[in-house]
Amino acid sequence: MNKNEVPSIFETFGDARKQGFIAVKNLKDQGKKVVGVFCTYSPVEIILAAGAVSVGICAFSDETIAEAEKVLPKNLCPLIKSSYGFAVTEKCPYMYFADLVVGETTCDGKKKMYELLSEIKNVHVMQLPQTQEDEVSKDLWYKEVLLLKDRIEKDFGITITDEDIKKAIRLKNEERKLLKEFYELSKSCPPPITGAEQLKVLYGSQFKFDIEQKNKELRDTIDKVKTDYANGIENVSNDAKRILITGCPLAGVTEKIVTAIEASGGVVVAYENCIGVKPADRLVDEEGDPYKALAERYLNIGCSVMTPNNKRMELITSLVKEFNVDGVVEMTLQACHTYNIETNTVRELLQKQDIPFITVETDYSTSDVAQLKTRMAAFIEMIS
Amino acid sequence: MKKYFAGIDSGSTMCKSVLFDGETILDINTVKTGWNPKLSSAESLGVLLERNNISKNDVYVSTTGYGREAVDFADYSFTEITCHAYGGIYLIPNIQGIIDIGGQDSKVIEIKNGKVVNFFMNDKCAAGTGRFLSMASETLDIDLKDIDAFSDLSDPVSINSMCTVFAESEIIGLLAMQSDRSKIMAGVLYSIAKKIQQQSSKLDFSEDMPLLMTGGLTISKALIDTIATTIGHEVITHKYALHAGAIGACICANKQLRK
Ligand code: SF4
Ligand code: SF4
Repeated sequence: MNKNEVPSIFETFGDARKQGFIAVKNLKDQGKKVVGVFCTYSPVEIILAAGAVSVGICAFSDETIAEAEKVLPKNLCPLIKSSYGFAVTEKCPYMYFADLVVGETTCDGKKKMYELLSEIKNVHVMQLPQTQEDEVSKDLWYKEVLLLKDRIEKDFGITITDEDIKKAIRLKNEERKLLKEFYELSKSCPPPITGAEQLKVLYGSQFKFDIEQKNKELRDTIDKVKTDYANGIENVSNDAKRILITGCPLAGVTEKIVTAIEASGGVVVAYENCIGVKPADRLVDEEGDPYKALAERYLNIGCSVMTPNNKRMELITSLVKEFNVDGVVEMTLQACHTYNIETNTVRELLQKQDIPFITVETDYSTSDVAQLKTRMAAFIEMIS
Repeated sequence: MKKYFAGIDSGSTMCKSVLFDGETILDINTVKTGWNPKLSSAESLGVLLERNNISKNDVYVSTTGYGREAVDFADYSFTEITCHAYGGIYLIPNIQGIIDIGGQDSKVIEIKNGKVVNFFMNDKCAAGTGRFLSMASETLDIDLKDIDAFSDLSDPVSINSMCTVFAESEIIGLLAMQSDRSKIMAGVLYSIAKKIQQQSSKLDFSEDMPLLMTGGLTISKALIDTIATTIGHEVITHKYALHAGAIGACICANKQLRK
């Protein structure tokens, strides 16, 4: 089969996914390279600077889990199983078209899965330090950033100039500022949009590949929301309890949490997640050595794979204040040890600040929808 | 303004209902939930109304429990957590916490100044719930109502699997090794108590005050005592403990009405 043809299994996918898929296929036809990334730690500016497109390939549905479990253990995080499953079944168009897949040594499950994935895909694994403060770790990560640049240059037979990388940093910063401006609209009381709507834009923006065009669309969206709000169009009740979500990456099937909250008199105002605030809240320094600046920006993301993970605690603390949050809901995925263990730290942090907190552990099935609804409704009743 | 409240707690096994006049409980009723929570709720309500000679138009109906969304004839609806808490406060006014073990779930609720401040509820898994206990008693061939007389609490066998499915194989294994059934049964009670402890230990309870246990498993004194020893708190119950959720539904409706 010609690699650029539409395999019929993709036909079964929803429209949104297909839109992006067709866009990727067109880009491939134009000779563009596609790089799949698994994690917020991937410095996508390098990919952009190489003239390639980067796309998130974390999967959020359970349809390929059964297939993945032929190889992977059952008691593994569903995100890992699902993503691997999409790769082996060739059901994810982005994974399918990826010329290179970039992963990091984040959690144990992911890094061991990359070993298996590298049997079927061209995989580059960056060695991510597990701590952020010491010089050895900073230096290691800087070198890993340079190694990624080398790998991409070699694989794609190109050279990334200083000008290329600086331009990519500028564009990406521009996008971050816009994303931030967008989600910060929800600082108003009541927020102009629901949490489900916010998530749709944050998640969807991953699948728009022309970054300048995307930035324009983001600008338009922000302006439109602002105008509507100024004209008194209210989407959310003033009484809705303002919820901050934190925890594992949340999208697709796990949006069941957002649905449960928003059907029970709550509204999600911010996501301290990898689809949410984490990738957008800090910019890359545009002065000085661009690769040093990238290394610094990316290493300081507060994910539970870091020890200690003070950055996450700082971010939660400031979001709670800035967004005037009434309660925090944490979502962890089954068998995600790092987040599940860190729950206790988050609970204690919020207890000290007198902010109500609830944590729910879930997976990619829908069997707990009713139960989640009860727990979220009870939580909202509790803080009302 | 209507005169009465009917609270219906449509649980996974039992549908509990109460009739309340804003201050006192006038009557209670219990029927099996069966396959249709709406039907059993209507039936239970019907019995209460008929027995007390009250017209449907004179009651506010308030529901809670698993089946609450199915009960489309209700005026109010609240979650089990809130209802058990307010029902508990009604029964024992200064209670600091509630342990409720239902057919499908278990929950521990912390109360301060007459309000819910925190709670834990089991995830998807059925460990530590009524279903876990009925699975075990069935495997051991002991009638649920005989658990107290049968369990040998002095020497429980430890059951390590928290998961209902694995615990069942573990019990079968223990039986194959000729372990004493009364000791296995005691082990099952301890395993439920351990699950409750996991939830309660994260909550802030003062040691010298009791917790109230509600729900169907309050029929087992042995279980209540086992939980008390395991969590290190006095655990009390109440003659209306099974109906705490339904009572709470009335209280919450009354509050909402007066808002
Ligand atoms: S949660 Fe952590 S490991 Fe997962 S994508 Fe985000 S940063 Fe990466
Ligand atoms: S959710 Fe947790 S276990 Fe899953 S990939 Fe992310 S860090 Fe790893």
